[in-house]
Amino acid sequence: MISMKGVSKVYVPDKPAALSEVDCEIAQGEFVFIVGHSGSGKSTFIRLLMRELLPTAGSISVAGQDVIHMKNRRIPYLRRAIGCVFQDFKLLPNKTAYENVAYALEVIGKSRHVIATQVPEVLRLVGLEDKTASYPDELSGGEQQRVSIARAFVNRPPLLLADEPTGNLDPATSLGIMSLLNRINKTGTTVLVATHDREMVDSMRKRVIALENGRIIRDQSRGVYGYGD
Amino acid sequence: MATNPGYFIRETWSSFRRNWVMSLVAVSIIYIALLLVGTFFLMSSVVNEMASSFESKVTVSVFLKDDAVDTDVTALKAAIQGMPNVKSISYVTKDQALAIFKDRTKNSPQLVENLRNNPLPASIEVALVDPRQVQGVVDLIVKNPLTAKVVKTPATLGTAANSDIKYGQNVVTDLFKATGVVRVFAAGFLILLLGVSLVLIGNTIRLAIYSRRREIGIMRLVGASNWFIRTPFLLEGVLQSLIGSILAILTLVAAQALIVPWLKTNLKFLPVNIGGMTMAQLAGLLILSGVLIGLLGSGSAVRRYLKV
Repeated sequence: MISMKGVSKVYVPDKPAALSEVDCEIAQGEFVFIVGHSGSGKSTFIRLLMRELLPTAGSISVAGQDVIHMKNRRIPYLRRAIGCVFQDFKLLPNKTAYENVAYALEVIGKSRHVIATQVPEVLRLVGLEDKTASYPDELSGGEQQRVSIARAFVNRPPLLLADEPTGNLDPATSLGIMSLLNRINKTGTTVLVATHDREMVDSMRKRVIALENGRIIRDQSRGVYGYGD
Repeated sequence: MATNPGYFIRETWSSFRRNWVMSLVAVSIIYIALLLVGTFFLMSSVVNEMASSFESKVTVSVFLKDDAVDTDVTALKAAIQGMPNVKSISYVTKDQALAIFKDRTKNSPQLVENLRNNPLPASIEVALVDPRQVQGVVDLIVKNPLTAKVVKTPATLGTAANSDIKYGQNVVTDLFKATGVVRVFAAGFLILLLGVSLVLIGNTIRLAIYSRRREIGIMRLVGASNWFIRTPFLLEGVLQSLIGSILAILTLVAAQALIVPWLKTNLKFLPVNIGGMTMAQLAGLLILSGVLIGLLGSGSAVRRYLKV
């Protein structure tokens, strides 16, 4: 599903790289945590997969597509195969929860009929069936995060990326969101979660890729957060 | 890709409504800018009309000898009628000339009372298609052999002052110079004003889109193609321009209906006239330039934020 070879990313020349010579393979249907301190390169990792950024060196392939030598007008098609949950939610402020989720389907040209059946279903899945008409600024952080997950998942992408999905949330809400991601993974979707939520990682016992200063220092299946403080 | 065209219409309208503050600002600025352009357009068309009406007063008068033979006069009338650039001719008899003179001098009737007989000549009055080409018509009349028979002094250009063929030769040149300057100035100022207004409108639309640049980035990240993002923004720019220009046209039509009759009754000596053709041209100009700049402005602004 994801293949990275010798990937480096330097934002500012002559400064330390955000990622250096990262190699990793993630198979279809896996659930993977990417852990590390702030500035260890987690977000860069995710943004490279979305082609929000281009790497300085190396090759990346996502869902069978060469991300680096991709034509600009092909980028939307890559992103439709990837659901992404952003740390800052990235909801459209002038659209209701329903419309935000529906937008991901409108983008791929689904009919109004399909939208009208799928959107309520996925909003029920994230537990927001009674907030469909609310605008993002009328929702709490956890609710916005769940709208963001619903939008990422509504078109059933083969890959779901989540950058700090529980970063701003209280432990109970975090738990709910993690179990939601787990359920999505059970439907066959590959899930990749960047986080520094130690308890979450330790309790889930999934594959863990640990980053430090832009390098992979550990990659174990059924791993823990690690990093003795 | 089976995107429902209804989607774009719904999307455009709801975005116009939900960003109503920015929409209102954009529409009002478009309205004011186009209103200015339209006002000046009408003013310059009135000035043009006035210039044309002054110009059309340039005619050629051919004064006839009292003993001119009727058949010669008739033949000359036919010859002049057949000349290029002659719109129409009319024949003023001696009696008609006296009547006109009496009417003009009715405040001092003793001028006419003291006349023993009628000293005024009959004349052929020639109206022109293009008054600027008056000299050509005069030359042709002078050259015509019949002219020498019916006119006492058919002088040529140099001795025109005491000629019996009169067309206000010195005044004409100055008049056309003046109306020419007025026309060029009006057209130049109109183009300048139109240019400034279009830049202003384009900038307003760009500003409205700048305030939503984050949204455009989000749309890109959830996999929307460029044209899918762009279309509602373009339609919104067009909608704003359309509303602004239609409001401006309605205002101008109303103002025109109120002001022109007032001018006509109070300033009778000024030939103020705005035809339906002029209003149609104005409406075309405002809507077309508004819609065009709405498209260009929003297109170029969205383009900048699509690079995610």
